[in-house]
This record gives sequence, C-alpha cells and structure tokens, in this order.
Amino acid sequence: MIGEGVYEVFARKKRGEPLRHIGYVDAPGDELARVYAWKTYDEEKWFEMCVVPRGAVIPVNRDDGPWGRNRRGREGDG
Amino acid sequence: MSQRAEEQLKERIRSGYILESPEEMTPGYRRAIIIQLTVQADTELMSAPAYWLAARHAPSTNTQVSAHAIIQDELAHANIAYRLLEDMGVSKEKLVYGREPHEFKHPYGFDQPLDNWAELVVANGFFDRAGICLLGDVHRNTSYGPLKRALVKVDMEETFHLRHGEVWMRRLARAGGAATELLQRCVDWMFPMTIEWFGLPDDLKRHSGQLDYKLKGLTNDELRQLWMSSTVPLCEGLGLKVPAHYDEAAEEYVLDYPFPCEYDPDAKHWLFDDGEISWDAVFARWKGRGPMNERYVESVRRSRGTVSSWLN
Ligand SMILES: [Fe+2]
Ligand SMILES: [Fe+2]
Repeated sequence: MIGEGVYEVFARKKRGEPLRHIGYVDAPGDELARVYAWKTYDEEKWFEMCVVPRGAVIPVNRDDGPWGRNRRGREGDG
Repeated sequence: MSQRAEEQLKERIRSGYILESPEEMTPGYRRAIIIQLTVQADTELMSAPAYWLAARHAPSTNTQVSAHAIIQDELAHANIAYRLLEDMGVSKEKLVYGREPHEFKHPYGFDQPLDNWAELVVANGFFDRAGICLLGDVHRNTSYGPLKRALVKVDMEETFHLRHGEVWMRRLARAGGAATELLQRCVDWMFPMTIEWFGLPDDLKRHSGQLDYKLKGLTNDELRQLWMSSTVPLCEGLGLKVPAHYDEAAEEYVLDYPFPCEYDPDAKHWLFDDGEISWDAVFARWKGRGPMNERYVESVRRSRGTVSSWLN
C-alpha cells in the first residue's frame, strides 16, 4: 500500500514444463508479494511459483520494456 | 510523433507485429489502449462490489464459496489491468483512489443493484458472458503482447463465472413457480441492459482506432451478435422469453424492441412503449451513473485512508 514495489511472477504448471512469466503484483515486501502472487494467479494448480523483484531482472539484449528501465537506471524497481 | 509514424505502426500491426513494451507505442496507440484498459479495469473492479453485495443472498455455504470465488477473481482481473496501465505510466493509485465515483468507466449495468440470488446468477450468465465476448476477442486479436498473456487467466476464469450463471439459471428455470417468475423478471431488465453495454451501432460509431491498432477484432454490432448467438438459445432452451429472435432471412439476431430506449432504474424496467431514444440520451443516462455507483465505489475504498494513516 505504501512504498509498494513491482514483483514479476513466474510459474510452472507441472513437472517437465517451462517456468513462464505469468504476470506481476505490487507488494510492500517479499513476504506479501508471495501471498499476493499465490492468491492473484490461482487459475492453475501450479507445480512451482516464484516472485522476483522487478529491479532484480537484468535484461541482456534489449533496453526497452519494464525490465529495460533497470539497465537505463531510470527508476529502479518502479 | 507524426501522422506518418501512426500509419507506419498500423501497417506493421496489420502484418502481425506484436508490441512488447510501452516504449514501442505511438501517442495514438497509447491513447487508445489506455482508454481500453481503463474501461476493462474499471469494469472488473466494479463487478466485485456488485457481486459482493449480492453474495449475501447465497442460499448455502457452498454457494457462498462459489460466489466469493468469483468476486476474488474479479478483483485479481482488475488488479492485472491496472498493473498493465501502471507500466504505461498511468497511476493505479490515482485511478482507483483519486477519481470521483462517476468518473469510472465501467458500463451502466454495474451501477445497478443485484437484489437476490437470481439476479446474481443472471448477471453471471449475461454480464460475464459479455465480458467473455469482449475480452475473448481482445485476447485473440490484440497487438499488445503483455495484455494477450494476461488475458489467458482472465478468459479461463470468466468461463467458470459463466458456467456458474448457466447452471443456476437452469436450476431456477426447472423449479417453476416463483423461482421461474423471478428468473424471467431478471431476464427482462438484464437482457436489454447487456445489449446496450456493447455501445453504439456500427453505422453511428465514431472512429476510435481500436480496430486499426488491432486492440480488438470485432465491431460493436458483431460483438452484440456474438453475445446473442449464445444467450438467446440458452434462454429459449430454458423457456424464458427474450426480446430478440433469429431472423433466418437476414441471418442475424434482431431485437424485438426499440433500441436504444429509456430505462427506469428504480423500477428495473425498460420503457419499450415510449419508443426509440437518441444515443445522446443514452450517453446522458450513462454519464449520470446509476443508483449504486457511489456505494459500490465507496465499498472498495472505504478503509484506505484509515489503514494508511496507521502505517504512516
Ligand atoms: Fe472478470
Ligand atoms: Fe467475471
């Protein structure tokens, strides 16, 4: 609510499947980000889910898009 | 940016180009998608308090659970759409907490009270189906990659909402007596409400760019037909009367009442007998908002200030 950051949400449907980027949540910290992600993206019985603070994603070959902003150092984790 | 840049982007989109970030948008594209996503987010958000107040009428703990599961889905859908806007530099905070209730962009249907269990399940059967028609079309056609992916979850869950509506409409229709009468009364006001939701007919539609930028694929009239093509047979199969029929010769659904026409929200009654009105009159009614507008907006944000002040 106050000082929320963006967390990217990744999930894998079942064993053997790729980990996919499925969305994002805003949360004031890692613990609530876990809860919000699990509750927001409950459309599948995920085998695995994890959250990553947006500011921790370092783009390799592109400079545009939300992750590109990290490279350009414009606005941290947005 | 110039008109030429807009035309170039439209041309690339026509040949299948998918945008992956706000930086790739031209001002025209950006403006169009922000309007579209604001309508989408506000509609999801305002469906939650409408369903929430109606969920009090759930007849059992099981139905309480399914009604609240739908509300939880809607809030997640709203959050996802506002988050996409945030990445375009539009403040979710301002959209949700900084506007007057009448400034929200949801359809007039979600300004109406849902007063009993039958109204809630018909809302699932009609309004959520309208959502599937609109968002399913966006999902299939949108040129914005992040939105396309976000809609996978939304479409999946909306299908569940619709099924909930259909199953319960069937149960009430089979029951006969008071249940069936009540169901028919719901259909009487909610069918034209959903028809109107799809907006201006194509021959009057101002050019919005939504189709050129491939933010959607079908026109208002095509979406209205799509909605009727499943809703009319469903209702007829349940023995419910709807003010529309399939015209074999024209190969389309035709409305059996003057469209658009005036609505009395207190009586939940469409004034078919007063004849057709202008779309300007419809827009004026929408702009004035319906009876539950302030209460619904208030109910999603009433504790915001208090809790924020504790945390500061
Ligand atoms: Fe929804
Ligand atoms: Fe829904």
